[in-house]
Amino acid sequence: MATRIKAKVKKDITEVKALANHPMLSYQEAKRANKEANFITHFMAEVNGKVVYEVSTSQFLSKDPYMKFSFKGAAKGDEIKITWKDLKGATEVETAKIK
Amino acid sequence: MINRRNFLGLGLGAIAVAAIPGKLSAIDFRETMPKAWTATKVDDAVKEVFGKTATTEGSIKLNAPDIAENGAVIPVSFETDLKATKVAVFQDANPESTVAVFTIHDNAVIDYAIRIKLAKTGTVTVIAEADGKLYSVSKLVKVTIGGCGG
Repeated sequence: MATRIKAKVKKDITEVKALANHPMLSYQEAKRANKEANFITHFMAEVNGKVVYEVSTSQFLSKDPYMKFSFKGAAKGDEIKITWKDLKGATEVETAKIK
Repeated sequence: MINRRNFLGLGLGAIAVAAIPGKLSAIDFRETMPKAWTATKVDDAVKEVFGKTATTEGSIKLNAPDIAENGAVIPVSFETDLKATKVAVFQDANPESTVAVFTIHDNAVIDYAIRIKLAKTGTVTVIAEADGKLYSVSKLVKVTIGGCGG
């Protein structure tokens, strides 16, 4: 269940595209499929120990959530760390280098 | 029985929070504002997330398709130059109104894109809080095939 990260910096603004692997089952969908609802509830990105992006999310994000976000202050070669957690408490941490 | 379950729940919650090393700046709105996620009307949800509902239109550029063929994957993106501290996305087509709440940190550039689900045609609203004021922008998205599995 890896999260794919593509981070590129141009003129001090880093743009990140992240694709997490998660079924994101809303309560409605879970009931229909006879499974338990589960979806990412919190997603955060850090660079050099500082949080640069953070969002609390709901069951209404699409399956395999795609997120694009931007921030300033990072340089090529810095490492970006993405952490997300879901309703059931599972967490995933993934890192990538900013190109 | 109920007491024990509550106690265990509290314990697990405490461990989960403790396990996250010193994230003073990370705020999990699911924990800090639980009612925001169960509000079924956009106004109620806005009140839960921001504490008020009065908004000024504008200052945010919202991009979403006019017609979404697949209600399960609707790209929504927005950008703003506002010095916002919190931005939230709501819609009125799903059982609950709040889709996501972003915490804006220093150095963030508010140019975000996500993909959401809409059960049927509805209005997507993005509200940003900057300097204590709320700014909002909305867009109607027509959905031909519902996104919540029906």
